[in-house]
Amino acid sequence: MTNRSRANSGGQTEEAVEPAKATQLFFVWRKLRTSKLAVAGLGIVLFMVILATLASLIAPYDPEWTGISRRPPSMEHLFGTDARGRDMFTLVLYGARISLYVGVAAVALEILIGLAIGMAAGYFGGIIDEVLMRITDLILTLPTLPLLIVAVILFQTQSIHTIVLVMGLFGWPFMARVVRSEFLTLRETTFVEAARSMGASPWRIIIRHILPNVLSTIIVIGTMDIPWFIFWEATLTFLGFGDPSSPSWGVLLERGYLYLRREWWMITFPGLALFFTSLGFNLFGDGLRDALDVTTRGR
Amino acid sequence: MSGAPLLSINDLKTYFFITEGVVNAVDGVHLKINKEEVLGLVGESGCGKSTVALSIMRLIRPPGKIVGGEIWFEGHDLLRKSEEEMRKIRGGKVSMIFQNPTSSMNPVYTVGSQIAEAIKLHQDVRKHETDEKVVEILHKVGIPDPGKRAEDYPHEYSGGMCQRAMTAMALSCNPMLLIADEPTTNLDVTIQAQILELMKALRKDFGASILLIGHNLGVISELCDKVAVMYAGKVVEYSKLEMIFEKAKHPYTQALLESIPRLDAGAERLRTIPGTVPRLINPPPGCRFHPRCEYAMAVCSKQEPPHVEIGQGHTVACFLYTENGRTKRHR
Repeated sequence: MTNRSRANSGGQTEEAVEPAKATQLFFVWRKLRTSKLAVAGLGIVLFMVILATLASLIAPYDPEWTGISRRPPSMEHLFGTDARGRDMFTLVLYGARISLYVGVAAVALEILIGLAIGMAAGYFGGIIDEVLMRITDLILTLPTLPLLIVAVILFQTQSIHTIVLVMGLFGWPFMARVVRSEFLTLRETTFVEAARSMGASPWRIIIRHILPNVLSTIIVIGTMDIPWFIFWEATLTFLGFGDPSSPSWGVLLERGYLYLRREWWMITFPGLALFFTSLGFNLFGDGLRDALDVTTRGR
Repeated sequence: MSGAPLLSINDLKTYFFITEGVVNAVDGVHLKINKEEVLGLVGESGCGKSTVALSIMRLIRPPGKIVGGEIWFEGHDLLRKSEEEMRKIRGGKVSMIFQNPTSSMNPVYTVGSQIAEAIKLHQDVRKHETDEKVVEILHKVGIPDPGKRAEDYPHEYSGGMCQRAMTAMALSCNPMLLIADEPTTNLDVTIQAQILELMKALRKDFGASILLIGHNLGVISELCDKVAVMYAGKVVEYSKLEMIFEKAKHPYTQALLESIPRLDAGAERLRTIPGTVPRLINPPPGCRFHPRCEYAMAVCSKQEPPHVEIGQGHTVACFLYTENGRTKRHR
């Protein structure tokens, strides 16, 4: 209480907006901190992000450097070397960059499309809702993997960006549905009715009154979907529809599985990286769900 | 200016078109509210009170539709205004308080910022002035330590405080008409009394007309100058408050009055009105109250009773008081 009132002593003036936002974050953090798993998740996520951004500094070798191939893990090569003698540790570090980019970029696309479609369908209802939701259903009924493969092939250029684009273009239906259902519920609430009775326009109601109430749901789903997209990219790559020039974790897995019998390290370490990243985002997302609930703040 | 009423509703019809048929929620309602007057609109649940309120605000949403009538406010028919014009009126000249105070506020914004937004929507004021206004108006509605409490979120307010804050928001732009849709339901009895006291005080302060909607004549009587009694989508009796209490004419009004618990009435059983408000998809023919009315006559189920003026500004829609109605029974 004291913290907030001190930070907000300037009231709702422009100058006070910054501290107000800072305290919002502070409250989310305070709630998040109470869950050990959530903090662990955040730790893993931050760790991965730092490794990915500082990959060029941390990595002991250049990703193109080749030495003796198929060396088991040692002090020299922490994760061993691959079939062409590249340092696996370096590759996993650089792979983190690509895999995280894939996850975040695809989620950004998912939010963009899912939010727009969900908001329109949920708020306006009627024929708009009907048309948009049938399109959503259509995409949901199609089996994801073949759909992605066909779409990737149709694009012809096998670039990591086309994979992100394709996953974003087909990954939004779940988000759209959740956003729609939240809007359906919220547009009937008394506070939206009250906003209307105060003369707010539909656009204002959507953006200022309903959207902030959906934001936490969007953030949570988005967080949880990052590993989901990383996995899909890995799957596509593993099946040979990836972009070999961008060595994501999926590419490493695909290269490594041939040597699974004897050179286990080639597939194990990228796999573990994938596993921990996924775990981290999921734990963090789960904790966020509770922490972002405004009504339990400060309790 | 006492001549022209602030708001006058003529033959308002608001229907809901649902799959089972057409619900005649409001079917030919006439009402008048003069300046600085408090009109109570009473009736059982489901008789169309809130629909009248939402019709005035033009907030009826599909499947509902205003199908006929006029709503004259300050010399303009609100039903002919564009949506844009209505938006300026809502919250500016006419504002509304709802019956669920705790859910009438957006949970993600502080109370103060929500009131500030209402002010910014309708008035051209600078930021720090807005803040001063917010604190001032919160103080007026009796929020203790308003400067600090303005920074609180709605869930940190009690139900009564939320209703005070909602009232503050509704009054923030000095409306000429305040519509209070059962402002005290869902509140504790003590808080109810406080809110009514508050509205009484504010009425003097702000000089706004109030349309007070409720199902409890006892609560309504605290505040009103005039009372309109609604039954099944129609106004059945309209009069000054004293007249309603002393000389209620319509059998429905009489029954309503007898179902108010009284301290001086001894330990008799409270009277109840048998039955419920009819489904408004297929309202009973003639007078809609006749199936529950103990004075029902043959004509009641055949014709709709006209509104007859039986005293100064006292109208009633019942065949007991029409010229050709054979009986002129008084109780």
